[in-house]
Amino acid sequence: MPDIFISDNGEKKEKIKVKEKPAKDKEEKISPFSYSIKQTTKDNPFASFIFRPNHIDFEIKDEEEKVILFLRKHPITNIKWAVIALILVTAPILVGSFPIFSFLPKNYHFIAILGWYLLTLSYIIQNFLSWYYQIQLVTDERIVDIDFYNLIYKEVSDCNIDKIQDVKYSMGGVIRTIFNFGDLMIQTASEVPNFKFEAIPDPNKVAKILQDLREEEQQEALEGRVR
Amino acid sequence: MINNMPILSINLMAIVKIFVILALSIYVIFSLVVIKQVKLMTETVEIGTEWLMKIVSYIHFLFAVAVLIFAIIIL
Repeated sequence: MPDIFISDNGEKKEKIKVKEKPAKDKEEKISPFSYSIKQTTKDNPFASFIFRPNHIDFEIKDEEEKVILFLRKHPITNIKWAVIALILVTAPILVGSFPIFSFLPKNYHFIAILGWYLLTLSYIIQNFLSWYYQIQLVTDERIVDIDFYNLIYKEVSDCNIDKIQDVKYSMGGVIRTIFNFGDLMIQTASEVPNFKFEAIPDPNKVAKILQDLREEEQQEALEGRVR
Repeated sequence: MINNMPILSINLMAIVKIFVILALSIYVIFSLVVIKQVKLMTETVEIGTEWLMKIVSYIHFLFAVAVLIFAIIIL
């Protein structure tokens, strides 16, 4: 009798082992690709690199589509126009100490200063909006490039992940190396042959994510899955 | 001083005033374009600061209108 009892235990152990395996497989399917990037709990709207953003939406987004990466130019690229804006703001104060416009009546002088600040404000708004809304998105299905040029021209182009043929990135120069940003070129087989993500932070990580997404798409195609 | 030339100064300053008001009117139109463009941008991508961008564009427009009215009054 004890022998039969012992053999039952062995079978049970084997059964438990068999049950454990599918659970592990499922876990792997939930996270098919692993990244060394931490997901932020709260999106910073002024950030240039957001991995799996929570509250970012765009007009041509499908219901089931998930945004994986949100990108825009590195904030350091704003330094040039920010310095010019600072000079423009302080210019009337500096010029005021020299009697250059003394020939103008006081009321005209005052309006000239107000007009100057209006133009400065428009310069700041135009540059800020160009940076803020020039966005690149990587979703689980495609890449989307949103560009606004000079406040009056808008261009939105997208390409499916499986149409990506080649991804390469470049980082050159002292500032780009110090602040770790560069250009990412994506060659595609879609209507738009080339996508250029300019001055984005961590282009190597973006390239890795795109590579993982392409592998995932290929896997989906082999398994016959739609999403 | 330009104001010391009686006949010429009236005409010259009137022309300058017309040009200033014309330039400021064009600027008001430009600020309206900015409002429209910000609206278009916020509709294209929702980042979470749409309200802030709209407020900034409206403040810009109001500032432009205020300068135009002020110029009409004091010039």
